[in-house]
Amino acid sequence: MTAHVRLAPVPADASLRRLDVRGLLRDAEVRPGRVVLSIAAGTMALGSAVGLAAVAAWLIARAAGMPSPADLALAAVTVRFFGIARGLFRYLERLVSHETALSGVVALRTRTYEGVASSGASRVLGLRRGDIVARMGGDIDAMGDAVVRSLIPLGVAGTVSVISIAITAAYLPVAGAALAACLVAAATLSGAMTWRSARTAAQAGTAAAARVSTATLEAIDGAAEHRVWGTTQDAAEELRAADRDAQDAAELAARPAAWAAAALQAAQGAALVLALWLAVSAARHAGLPPTDTAVVALLPLAAFEAVNAVPAAIQQAFRSAAAARRVQTMVGDGESTPHLSGDASNDGARAAASTTPAPASASLRLEGLSAAWPGMLPTLPVTATIAPGGALGIVGRSGIGKTTLLLTIAGALPPSRGQALLGDTPVGAHTIGRAIAMTPEDAHLFGTTVLENLRVADGTVTRDQARDALEAVQLGAWLDSLPDGLDTPLGSGGNTVSGGERRRLLLARALLSPAPIHLIDEPAEHLDADGVDALRSLVAAMRAQGRSVVIVTHDLGILDVVDRVVTLDEH
Amino acid sequence: MKPIDPRLIARIGPARRYVIVTAVLGFLTASTILFQALLVSRMLAPVLAPTALTEDGLGPLGRLVPLGARELAQGLPLLALVVLTRVFAVWVQERLAHRAGTQVVSELREAVVQHATGMGPRWIASGKGTEVVTTVTRGLDGLLPYFVRYLPQLMLASTVTPLMLVVVLGLDWPSAVIVMLTLPLVPIFMILVGLVSRDRSRRHLDAMEQLGARTLDLIAGVPTLRALGRERGPSARVRELGTASKKATMASLRVAFLSGFVLELLTTLSVAIVAVTLGFRLVDGDVSIETALAVLILAPEVYLPLRNVGTHFHASADGMAAADAAFAILEQPLPVVGTPGGLVTDFAGVTLRLTNVSVSTPDGARNAPAALSLTAAPGRLTVLRGPNGEGKSTALLALAGLLGPDEGAVTASAGGVEIALSVADADAWTRQCAWVPQRPELGPEGRELSLGQRQLKAYERALNSGRPVLLFDEPTAHLDGQARSRLVGRMVSLARAGATVVAATHDPLLIDAADAVVDVRAMAVRSAP
Repeated sequence: MTAHVRLAPVPADASLRRLDVRGLLRDAEVRPGRVVLSIAAGTMALGSAVGLAAVAAWLIARAAGMPSPADLALAAVTVRFFGIARGLFRYLERLVSHETALSGVVALRTRTYEGVASSGASRVLGLRRGDIVARMGGDIDAMGDAVVRSLIPLGVAGTVSVISIAITAAYLPVAGAALAACLVAAATLSGAMTWRSARTAAQAGTAAAARVSTATLEAIDGAAEHRVWGTTQDAAEELRAADRDAQDAAELAARPAAWAAAALQAAQGAALVLALWLAVSAARHAGLPPTDTAVVALLPLAAFEAVNAVPAAIQQAFRSAAAARRVQTMVGDGESTPHLSGDASNDGARAAASTTPAPASASLRLEGLSAAWPGMLPTLPVTATIAPGGALGIVGRSGIGKTTLLLTIAGALPPSRGQALLGDTPVGAHTIGRAIAMTPEDAHLFGTTVLENLRVADGTVTRDQARDALEAVQLGAWLDSLPDGLDTPLGSGGNTVSGGERRRLLLARALLSPAPIHLIDEPAEHLDADGVDALRSLVAAMRAQGRSVVIVTHDLGILDVVDRVVTLDEH
Repeated sequence: MKPIDPRLIARIGPARRYVIVTAVLGFLTASTILFQALLVSRMLAPVLAPTALTEDGLGPLGRLVPLGARELAQGLPLLALVVLTRVFAVWVQERLAHRAGTQVVSELREAVVQHATGMGPRWIASGKGTEVVTTVTRGLDGLLPYFVRYLPQLMLASTVTPLMLVVVLGLDWPSAVIVMLTLPLVPIFMILVGLVSRDRSRRHLDAMEQLGARTLDLIAGVPTLRALGRERGPSARVRELGTASKKATMASLRVAFLSGFVLELLTTLSVAIVAVTLGFRLVDGDVSIETALAVLILAPEVYLPLRNVGTHFHASADGMAAADAAFAILEQPLPVVGTPGGLVTDFAGVTLRLTNVSVSTPDGARNAPAALSLTAAPGRLTVLRGPNGEGKSTALLALAGLLGPDEGAVTASAGGVEIALSVADADAWTRQCAWVPQRPELGPEGRELSLGQRQLKAYERALNSGRPVLLFDEPTAHLDGQARSRLVGRMVSLARAGATVVAATHDPLLIDAADAVVDVRAMAVRSAP
């Protein structure tokens, strides 16, 4: 089916969507103690570099006065200690911060999983598998990176700067003030410039990147047609134009980034010039001792390392925020899932559904039912009654809305017109997965054993039941050929089975599902003879259990499998 | 992996210029660092020395900085000038880095796309096309960190580090000896740590990947579970797998971070040793305060670029891998169809002929089509029939001059002249054929249309093109009844008007309307004895 069910496109202002930061922190189960510990270790690491510079300056200045070597002993030991401490504490900081981030990622992924699983059925069933994997994989990892690459470096930049300022101010307050001014300028200027750069890249860059992608795809996929129609140069020119767009966007983003780097360097240089001027003047005219002078004058050389991490930290914050927005958009609208834990009304409906199971013998009535995603043309109205044990076929060409109609029958989407009734009550979020189960076209085979894949339909399925179901869809011989029978693992995504075997495994799963009504979305490829046979067996087996089936397909070959066929095609 | 891919330098102009300019800027930066250190020690030394300084404490290098710089009035403006120069160098470097990076990416992208379009329709259809798109868009974008971060640090490591070493040697040879003894330890220990940790981290990496794959598998199945009402159970399993994955990751990180630890420890400890040694030698009067200060300031600068290269190495690895993939595509030989600049003939009233044409499938296991012979005469509608994958589309490609067969001949005869595709100019051949594939591409605006609409538009173009040869691949596949019979009717009438019309199809309506039907079959290739 080429017209895959799709969510309404993400609104253009998704990048400006407000982030629910407090909810995120709660979902990530971030332990403040671990973050503080990471910042403390990072402070010790970079603080050691500052300490090393300060004590070494003191040592050289003291040594210049030619004291007895014993007077230098303590300073010498301290310098060596800082020399070792930096590496040690940095190692510790990296371990603690990564541990914190990884724990957060695990918690976030679990909560997001729960959020996705329990959000509105129309939302979940409308998600594409690739999207879910990208959001739950890379994006949640990127959210975790915010701890390691943004939060902690920024914290360390703050603490180490305060330490440098305090040391300087203790010897010469005015120099401390000058250093403070330069550090603050470095952090704010480079931070603001980087933020601007990241924003520009996100706005202009994303559009340009999309144009480059399209032009590339079009040049390569249409290569043969371009040769036939003599438009090869046009396609190349379009790609060049798209590339120029991308370069212009990169240029816009690069300008503030370069200023950020220059601002850092300028602030550090200014701090050195000021410190040298103030310290030497104080030594000459106000009797500042040589050791103090050396420390004040040389500290700016070491004090800026922590602040130099600000641009990278800001960039990471921007990336992580964008990832978080994408994840929150996937899980649902802000108000219905403030902290990804699902909405109570939905849970209530489900609880009600599980305590009062749907009548097993209810018939499904479609009364002028027509389905549509918002903004799409509705399907032709369908009227049909499927009594228990009945089988209905819905045919129509690709893209006509067969899958949409199926989602509407399941109760995942509100009807565009007409209604679907189960017994006397309309279907809704409480029916999907309970009274009405569904096998989507791209239903997933899990990377586990054959048996566990069948138990996805019902956890209580026994080995004998599983074998019977497989035989019912003509997979008996296939099962016998497997090395470990029912315990043979399937590859992730069911890659080790052929397309036909995959479809039939999904039918066996449908057979084992306890729901009284099952909806099957058949794929676009023409069904082969085995596939039609398997469908026929499935319908017969379900009928024997008093269950009913609705199949949508564009293949007319199923006509003799079902009781009745309705078409969605005009005329 | 090589630090700089020589192919990048050899074949991409902006990359070459960038490397040269960055090297020059590296030397400029190194000089500012040197002058900064000398100026600071000139100004600071007089207030640290117990007695007034009489001679130049910097030795031969003192000639670089006037003695007058000991006075703030002369020293500070010079220092400010040096600082400004360094700010300028940083700014220029950043500007150039981004510009060069995007230019290199653009140029490489254009080259790869151009090469890929010449690889022929079958190469693109075999999934390589999608791969190319991923490589030249998201993949090549990974080159930016390489150009912006890694390459400049590499250049600094190969300019600043040796220059500073020579300077320290000129100022105070015992300190230079300490630096020279510790510097080689950095790569030696990194390699040792790497060797020890390699097996361990590979084991952890495998475990991590497995756990990650299982989690993603579970996640990918959410809609399926939801459709069966079974979505609640796996969340505990997601957490369990995540926790196990976290443990494996941490175990591998504990080892992976060791190399960073060694790097930081060696470089910082070396600076500490230099400082302490200088202190004790000052007490003994072995070294002047001016020299001691200059060496103290310069020592960390020797190690800094090395540390930064280590930091940015991983960030750039992805980009290098993408560049590698791009060059792998560029190095594949282009298939040649026909003879460029070869024979040209007018196709009006042409008879196209395939004689024993075989084309091997990409895996080489089968010929599809196998030994196909057919004659497509003008004024007639010829239909190719057969199951999917037997070579109908490939036969059309050969007729259109888009693909040269592995065996057999493609010939065109018109006006008493017969030429073979192998000696003809393929472009001139192709331009006289109106070929429409199964999924027509109509440029960016075509992407907004549904497959059916796109197809109608593509057929409109082909039917109105006035070309003497029409080659259609499953023309009626996605059309409804009315549009179908209309299209078949127009094909027949164009044939009657003298065009050579060939279509591959399963559609009985089109097969009934055909003047000639050719069955297309594939055959397994017998393996050579």
